[in-house]
Amino acid sequence: MDRDHAVRMENITKTFGDVVANDEVTLSVKKGEVHALLGENGAGKSTLMNILYGLYSPTSGNIWINGEKKHFENPNNAMDAGIGMVHQHFKLIPRMSVLENIVLGERETTAQRDGIAGYLSQLFGRDRDGPRNQLTQLAEQYGLEINPDAKVWELGVGEQQRVEILKALYRDIDVLILDEPTAVLTPGEAERMFETISTLVDEGLTVIFITHKLWEIEQMADRVTVLRDGKAVDTVDVEDIDRNDLAELMVGREVLFDIEKQPVSPGQTVLEASNLHADDNRSLPALTGVDLTVSRSEIVGVAGVSGNGQRELAECLIGFRPLTDGQIKIDGEDLTGCSPKEIIDSDVSFIPEDRHAHGCAADLSVMHNAATKVYRNGGIDSGRLLLDYTSMADYAEDIVDGFDVRGVTEVRQTPAGTLSGGNLQKLILGREMSRAPSLLIANQPTRGVDVGAIEHIRERMLEQQKDGTGVLLISEDLDELLDLSDRIVVLYEGEIVHETTPEATNKRELGIYMSSGSAATIKEAPAAEVR
Amino acid sequence: MIPEISVERRKNVPQWLAYGAPVFTILAALLVAAVPLLWLNISPIWVYWELFISQPSTIGGVGDVLTTGLPLFFAGLAVYIPLKAGLWNIGAEGQLFVGAVVGSAIALHVQLPAVLLIPTILLAASIAGALYGAIPGYLRAEHNVNEIISSLMLTFAATTFTGYLLRGPLQGSGGQTATDRLPDVALIPSVLTPRLHVGVGLVILVGVAATLLLNRTQLGYEITFIGSNSTAAVQSGISKYKIYITVFVIGGGLAGLAGMVEVAGVHGRLFEDFSPGYGFTAVAVALLGRNGVGRVFAAALFFGLLTAGGTTIAVTQNVPSALIDVIVALTILFLLTAEFVKEHRIQIGSAGSESAPRPEGST
Repeated sequence: MDRDHAVRMENITKTFGDVVANDEVTLSVKKGEVHALLGENGAGKSTLMNILYGLYSPTSGNIWINGEKKHFENPNNAMDAGIGMVHQHFKLIPRMSVLENIVLGERETTAQRDGIAGYLSQLFGRDRDGPRNQLTQLAEQYGLEINPDAKVWELGVGEQQRVEILKALYRDIDVLILDEPTAVLTPGEAERMFETISTLVDEGLTVIFITHKLWEIEQMADRVTVLRDGKAVDTVDVEDIDRNDLAELMVGREVLFDIEKQPVSPGQTVLEASNLHADDNRSLPALTGVDLTVSRSEIVGVAGVSGNGQRELAECLIGFRPLTDGQIKIDGEDLTGCSPKEIIDSDVSFIPEDRHAHGCAADLSVMHNAATKVYRNGGIDSGRLLLDYTSMADYAEDIVDGFDVRGVTEVRQTPAGTLSGGNLQKLILGREMSRAPSLLIANQPTRGVDVGAIEHIRERMLEQQKDGTGVLLISEDLDELLDLSDRIVVLYEGEIVHETTPEATNKRELGIYMSSGSAATIKEAPAAEVR
Repeated sequence: MIPEISVERRKNVPQWLAYGAPVFTILAALLVAAVPLLWLNISPIWVYWELFISQPSTIGGVGDVLTTGLPLFFAGLAVYIPLKAGLWNIGAEGQLFVGAVVGSAIALHVQLPAVLLIPTILLAASIAGALYGAIPGYLRAEHNVNEIISSLMLTFAATTFTGYLLRGPLQGSGGQTATDRLPDVALIPSVLTPRLHVGVGLVILVGVAATLLLNRTQLGYEITFIGSNSTAAVQSGISKYKIYITVFVIGGGLAGLAGMVEVAGVHGRLFEDFSPGYGFTAVAVALLGRNGVGRVFAAALFFGLLTAGGTTIAVTQNVPSALIDVIVALTILFLLTAEFVKEHRIQIGSAGSESAPRPEGST
């Protein structure tokens, strides 16, 4: 094997029971490049990287690192061979400091020992500052400033990710795998992440990152390997391919990026919320006087950096979170203080931000999950005491077919939790839309979902709009807001600070309102910013 | 870090795991229980033969198993139904006591013909148990008080208060800490063998009702959904308040019924130790049978077999009856271990979740 390749995985196959996660995948990563791994949810990207990191053993196939054939039993083997990985969900211990987290797992450390002996050894130990110095040095070298003594729980998501990267670098690695590094980051943090990747490569590392965002590849990667249904479809130089071709490679068909939005004239007001006040989970004020109206056949986009009250706004509107002040009217009826049931009965549908924690019962069947909004009130039970599970199953099958939910073998048997993110989201969408709601509150409906599903979800929302549903679309994806909304409001620190229309604004202007809450610096922004 | 093998195993043998786990648990418990038996110079094979082969082959033995299994089944459901909603009713024993006390008091003081009196005392016992069960349910729903602690504490309150009543207002003329014998019209008649009372017919009634409730009704759907993900359920318009109280009311009612059936069907009077810890063994019954009402029944029969058979061999063969408690305790211990292993596997988080409980309503 040639030595230009930092990693070469050849004919990797991995099966879980009957499921083939990777099918004869070959991946070559050159030294010093940024190599992207692109694919829809469930295409086998994470599995492949977990094999490289030693978490899974391949069913068949071989791995070469720097031209040497390797066999990894566990991640320690992989780390010894110079492979590090930062998972999508961080594996840090919140109560411990940054330094403690970084040295955790190292046998030879004096960083933290209990009792007097520990204290003495810290005091007199020859290398007591070893890890700290090494960390400071690494942080400087790679531009990852961090306070080594801060507790991890005090850190923001972006900072925690830096800790994870430092933790990997501390093990002296050559290849760093990043699993969807920007999925949890705000746009600003993501920018910073990209700078970090550049620095890492400048310092001689090889970076592999998993993503399903095309623009990230355009911005960051040198080469990209596209996975589809567990197979490697192609590896290409990023310079030689455009976004549409990439998307087509990824989903196996052409993807519409510019959705044709037909003008629909809004009807009667369906949601009228005034002066909403509410607290967040820590009892701190999260909404401080939100006024909002949505009309039938209107999509109102809510822009904002995550954590500015979006979640609380959505939960208040569906009666899940109590208001501390304000009023909510649906179709002219005052529903302030009503239970979720009463609000659902007023034909309000809801797509929660976190589909696993709030959107479904993961261990119950697809059928159970499909019916949550219709099982009562004549939807399924036709007014009798007993539920009709046969028609419930039919109902679920209609949603599965109509919304292209894949991965369902039998609606009564397949647990919702086994569906991939995008398919679960389509199931939730189907459940919420099949009842032809008068108001749909959608919180981040396309986040973490692959391109094919995003397209589907957006089209469905537009269809629903035509059918007279008013949509409140809360999203951090500005393209989505600009493409779909009739009006856009910006939520900043619990208040609506700006209202505009997609025609009258652009990403840059929205970004300024989102990040500063005012137009103070907006004068310098050219009005005709390219979207 | 996860070795590959455990992931594969979960994928390949889900049925094996689901069905094998309870069987393995029991076999392991019996194996370990053989050690103290051998130490006492008692042949474990003989004991197990007596328990599992000889006993069920006589009609009297079957009667014993059924009458012991009945309160275990009802109390088991009293734990199982709240468990479906994600709550732990550890207080079935207390609800059972309250039911037995109220039912017995009525039987002693109200004069009615048998046709009316027996249903009256059974119903009153159920209502009393249900109300007593409603307390931890309400505290959890309204004030988020941990139901494990409140239901357990209420058990001690109930058993202690029963002790007081049996030395005071309800004490019989014999001077023991027991009531007088209930009037004959209040006693549930026997069939086939003197030790099998017709109350076991209730097993079919309650079993079918519980199955229908969980698998076919709107309420059962809501219970299952709350138990699987309460946040998602509440956002779907299901009232946690209503479900939490309802499952405890149903559970308490069944436990109260179990208490009264035991008094009116087996003992004929209420005394302090009328229940050999049915309400506590019920937790094990519910865990062992966690995947369906039918399995709860099977688990209740198994523990019924142990309890009834244990009494028989203790009396006839001079085997310490504590040994049976050891077997029961070991089974519970292994059960908890099995639970831990299962949960641990779920946490590993591979794509499948075969070991998760099968949802109700699935065919």
